Amino acid sequence: MTDEPRMEDMPSVRGEVSNLKLVSRATYFKEAALKNLFLLCAFMAVAGVALIFVFVGYRGWPIFSEVGAGNFLFGMEWLPTEGLFGILPLFVGSIVVTVGALLLGTPLAVGAAVFLSEIAPPKVRSIVRPAIELLAGVPSVVYGFFGLLILRPIVADLTGGLGFGPLTAWIILAIMIVPTIATLTEDALHSIPGGVREASYAMGATTWQTISRVLLPAAKIGIVDAIILGMGRAIGETMAVLMVVGNAPGFFRGMGEPLSTLTSQIVMDMPYASGMHRTALFGMAIILFLVSMGLVLTVRLLSRLREETS
Amino acid sequence: MLLAVIALPLAGCSRGNSAQNKIIVTGSTTIQPIAEVAKEDYERRNPDQVVLVSGVGSSAGIENVSSGTSDIGTSSRELKDEELDLGLVDTPIAYDAIAVIVNPSNPVTSLSKAQVKAIFQGTITNWSEVGGPDMAIGLVNRDEASGTREAFAKIVLDKERFDPTAVILPGTGQVRSVVAQEPRAIGYISLGFVTDDVKAIAIDGVEPSEATVVSGTYPVQRVLHMFTKGAPTGLAKSYLDFVLSPDVQESVVRDAGFIPITAKGLTGD
Repeated sequence: MTDEPRMEDMPSVRGEVSNLKLVSRATYFKEAALKNLFLLCAFMAVAGVALIFVFVGYRGWPIFSEVGAGNFLFGMEWLPTEGLFGILPLFVGSIVVTVGALLLGTPLAVGAAVFLSEIAPPKVRSIVRPAIELLAGVPSVVYGFFGLLILRPIVADLTGGLGFGPLTAWIILAIMIVPTIATLTEDALHSIPGGVREASYAMGATTWQTISRVLLPAAKIGIVDAIILGMGRAIGETMAVLMVVGNAPGFFRGMGEPLSTLTSQIVMDMPYASGMHRTALFGMAIILFLVSMGLVLTVRLLSRLREETS
Repeated sequence: MLLAVIALPLAGCSRGNSAQNKIIVTGSTTIQPIAEVAKEDYERRNPDQVVLVSGVGSSAGIENVSSGTSDIGTSSRELKDEELDLGLVDTPIAYDAIAVIVNPSNPVTSLSKAQVKAIFQGTITNWSEVGGPDMAIGLVNRDEASGTREAFAKIVLDKERFDPTAVILPGTGQVRSVVAQEPRAIGYISLGFVTDDVKAIAIDGVEPSEATVVSGTYPVQRVLHMFTKGAPTGLAKSYLDFVLSPDVQESVVRDAGFIPITAKGLTGD
């Protein structure tokens, strides 16, 4: 209703006084509309997170009130068909899989980033960088297939089992988190002022000395940032892990022995879970949500730290 | 006028199909090959009707048909006690045997039912204990949504627990491919899915085959079901009648590796 008089104003403005006023009026509308549109976009993202948290929390809460936080979080056995909903083995499984993947993937990714940022000639860089970025675009089910068909038989020969287990998952996840860690580490290295490098070389330091004594320490917080985001990727990965980890919901017993994780167990059980079992799956989602929230908060804190120190 | 033009096809989609000429069949992945091929033949004969088939696992199929989201729920297991009062009516459509499979390189060809039980419960862990080479047994189990697992647990394990450290794979095809590649592996799949790259073990000296299933001597066998909410009516009935017709039973069911429900000369119990 309030818009209508303005609309009617416009032809008269165009006809009589000046075009400037019309342009500015139209621009005003456009600006206001765009501003609100972007506000809406940002709001949708926040609302999405909030809605998911409320929904998952609402569906998962009864597991804490009825089964009990202790029985749920620290229960040693996941046997939903017998009413045992202990997720400790699954949580340990997620941690084992994630930490192993980080131990394998971090040196690989940081090394690649150092090479790209400090060593590689532009021509090599123009090939290697897109290749690493491409890794991020490969669907996780493809990684899973690769793990199942290529890696699993090799791991089976190495460990004397069937090849399903953490070792296979570590290798697959290590490759999957390389792009995340490498890209962010490269950014951190780039953000070091060029003068720091020049000063180091001017003091007679070799390339290796410059990298190990000057650049990596200077980019430390940025690299930790990158590792934490890589960790978020690893702990949340589902499909590729599900295909190679073996899905036996017991405690970690060895690199080549089947294991299960929070994410893969949710997917395995979702098709048939009902009642308290389904509630338990939502409870597991709450835990995953809290873990990734913790990781994001850590990254925020670190970024603030980085701003203060630089 | 414009509204009417837009609204008409919409109404046609949402109302006409679902209520009058669409049949939704969901459930067991084991029965998927039968339901899928039968669907194609059925639609060819009844071009005005649409059958939607999806394999989501027996339990999900039973849940779908009892909640009304599916017209027919397929299941490779019997109803559980808590599912008995859902008002589901059973139409048995085929017999199936569950074959215990090992790698073709494995010299073991026969196991007793008690040995199979002990292997899957983790009390026998080396092939040498059952007359094979000195090699750790690699157990491959199915996920809990699987009707094959349910039936296997009931028939072989007397509903006792599986070895909790066994690898769990979410599909028949995955079990078969791992057993085909790994000399130490043992798994179980529906007889219809046994191919040359795995070896089916004789149980108590009886090889799984149509003859031994029909005669009742092969112990690990089951009936495949299609459930409807109440007695089948309308399109669901005509689809079920088609599945039970000799055309489907003798060709589709057989081609999928199952045994026609008519082979025993009685309509299932």
